[in-house]
Amino acid sequence: MKGNSGRELQDLGRDTDNIIYDRGTVRVVALACVIILLAVVVTGSISYFITRNAVVEKLKTRDLVFIIESISAKIDGRIDRAKETSLILAKDPALIQWVAGAETDERLGEYAKTKIDQIARSYDYANSFVVSAVTNHYWAEGSKLMQVMSPADPDAKWFYDALNAGKAVDLNIDYNSGRQDTFVFLNALVGDVSQPIAVTGVGLSLKEIAGEFQRYKFGEKSNLWLVDSRGKIHLSDNLEHNGRYLQDFVPKDVVSQVIGDKAGASSATRVIEYKNVQGETVDLAYQPTKSTDWKVVFQIPRSESIALLGNIKFNTAVTGLITLTLMIFVFFIVSHRIADPLKRALLLTKEMEKQVSERTRELAQKNQEIVDSIDYAKRLQESILATPAELGDVFADYFVLWRPRDIVGGDFYWVKRIDAATSFIALADCTGHGVPGAFMTMAVNTLLNHIVDENYTEPAAILAELNRRVKETLHRNDRGQMTDDGLDIGICRLDQRKRQLSFAGAKICLYINSESQVTVLKGGSKSIGYRRSARNMEFSSQSWQIKSGDKFYLTTDGYVDQNGGEKDYPLGRKRLLQIISGQSREAMSLQGKAFEAALREYMGTEAQRDDITVVGFSLR
Amino acid sequence: MQPLYIDKTKSTPGIHFDPQDAKLRIEGQSYPENAFKFYEPVFAWLDKYLAKVEREVVLEIYFHLPYINTSSSKCMMMLLEKLEDAYAAGTKVVVRWYYDLENDTALECAEEFKEDLTLPFEINPVGEEG
Repeated sequence: MKGNSGRELQDLGRDTDNIIYDRGTVRVVALACVIILLAVVVTGSISYFITRNAVVEKLKTRDLVFIIESISAKIDGRIDRAKETSLILAKDPALIQWVAGAETDERLGEYAKTKIDQIARSYDYANSFVVSAVTNHYWAEGSKLMQVMSPADPDAKWFYDALNAGKAVDLNIDYNSGRQDTFVFLNALVGDVSQPIAVTGVGLSLKEIAGEFQRYKFGEKSNLWLVDSRGKIHLSDNLEHNGRYLQDFVPKDVVSQVIGDKAGASSATRVIEYKNVQGETVDLAYQPTKSTDWKVVFQIPRSESIALLGNIKFNTAVTGLITLTLMIFVFFIVSHRIADPLKRALLLTKEMEKQVSERTRELAQKNQEIVDSIDYAKRLQESILATPAELGDVFADYFVLWRPRDIVGGDFYWVKRIDAATSFIALADCTGHGVPGAFMTMAVNTLLNHIVDENYTEPAAILAELNRRVKETLHRNDRGQMTDDGLDIGICRLDQRKRQLSFAGAKICLYINSESQVTVLKGGSKSIGYRRSARNMEFSSQSWQIKSGDKFYLTTDGYVDQNGGEKDYPLGRKRLLQIISGQSREAMSLQGKAFEAALREYMGTEAQRDDITVVGFSLR
Repeated sequence: MQPLYIDKTKSTPGIHFDPQDAKLRIEGQSYPENAFKFYEPVFAWLDKYLAKVEREVVLEIYFHLPYINTSSSKCMMMLLEKLEDAYAAGTKVVVRWYYDLENDTALECAEEFKEDLTLPFEINPVGEEG
């Protein structure tokens, strides 16, 4: 067994390693991973859609509005400033004086020309001018006399229109296709509004605002346009769009909605959502400017506005992946650090249980073999006991209570018929019980048979001879001090003819219940066959005249020594005598049951202490 | 010399042999499977003790055995014979055997032992739970 234990442990170790990766664990880890993945995907998707909706909502209500409003404000601010500048020029006293004086005053002329030039340059206008209604001279920045106005000239039409408009300051837009630029002129009347002496002002190129437009380049495909009432694009963040029309880029119904919206400049920004020819969703916002009937239009494909959500998608995926990796790692650690020792312990327990049950089975098997062997021995032992036929032949009525403590025992009863009138009955209790006792009974039985066969007829003589022969047989090689075996015995010779019973005993008595009186014929106080039993021990026979109805009992000490009762004392001789005297009238065959019942009642749950035999008989 | 103490079990008596006060006690039921094996160390101790015990000392031996089986009684007899031999050799020995009044088996047993011996042998009843 010892040699194997190392290999067993190794096997155990290998089993343990395998068990960590057993199907159950892998399944649990896989299931947990799937659940976590599912959770990550679900929470990711939900948060993605929530965020997307929030982004779109923000785009529509805030971002687009903000872009449109700030661009409008920029344009309006620019134009308002230009208006102010024009009005300042128109109210300049020196300028008024110079124009009124038909530009004759050299000194004033110098001042006015410098002023015009300065304004253009210092305030970053495309041009600045003063056109006199007195001389019809058109003075521009750089002190240049550009032309002399004439009502016949279509290019001068604006001048006469302005003079007659009666507005202190008016706005005139002029698209120059050659320069692909739109100029906004702010024309202010000089002098009395009803009778102006000149038109002065500044012109600004929309290209100057284009820089601002570039800053609102929101995405690759986003567009910011400034369109007029016909849908013509005057300004775009994309220079190529300048001079083209809104319908070139936007579906017709959207164009008509934008252009057709006649709401005032004060109206709020409108946001439209439409699908372009590619089927993409596009958000479009527009708002009229305050100073002109132009509208600022901004459009952006939805895919671009929510492009940043791509990051969220990516981040969520990465987070999920990291979480998953970490979980797998944790599972690995858990299965190693926690589950492994547990499993090892479980495995060891299992292994031990297996070994225990194996040993138990082995023991049970061994035990069964021994029990079988003893069962067989019991048959042998029973074969030396008097048979019911022999007993029935000798006695008128009888009972035998033979209860070895184990399967076989040291008690045995023996009957021998010598002739028609003479027979023997003996009860012996050999030392020990179980198998050693049984061995003794076999030997004593043989000796007893031999002795009687050799014509020993007196019970006392038979016991004396038995003592001698047992000592001879059992102590032949007396080396060890520790074997000392012998027996107690009571033997009766029954003489039917003389109606006489002769008894001799060695520590076994004969109880006689005769006419409701119990008499005890005591045997000798010494056992037979022991080392200290004298080799020439003397026994005496006692005679009893048999009367009709006499009942005889022989019992081994197992019966009186059996513990039980309240104090756990032995049953005792007094109780035995009570049992015997209480049975005066019962048939012997029934008395056996009474002896058994009395014993059972007295011992209660206590175990049987010794072999117990009681033989009761009556004679014919 | 070391005292000999053996605790009482269900089937073996308690042994309390103390050389200091010259008192030996055996108390309890005695029905072991193998009585000789149980009593062997008791005999050995007693042999050793009797060999060196002083003449003036009165050795008192207390027995209180409610039940002893046949083989135990053989052993008890062997033990008593050792004391008997010592007594014959001049050691002062007193055996005090106690039995419970209701336990006639124990009394019979004591009487049987006493019959075979010459050393002082008292048989005393004890009351409840004596």
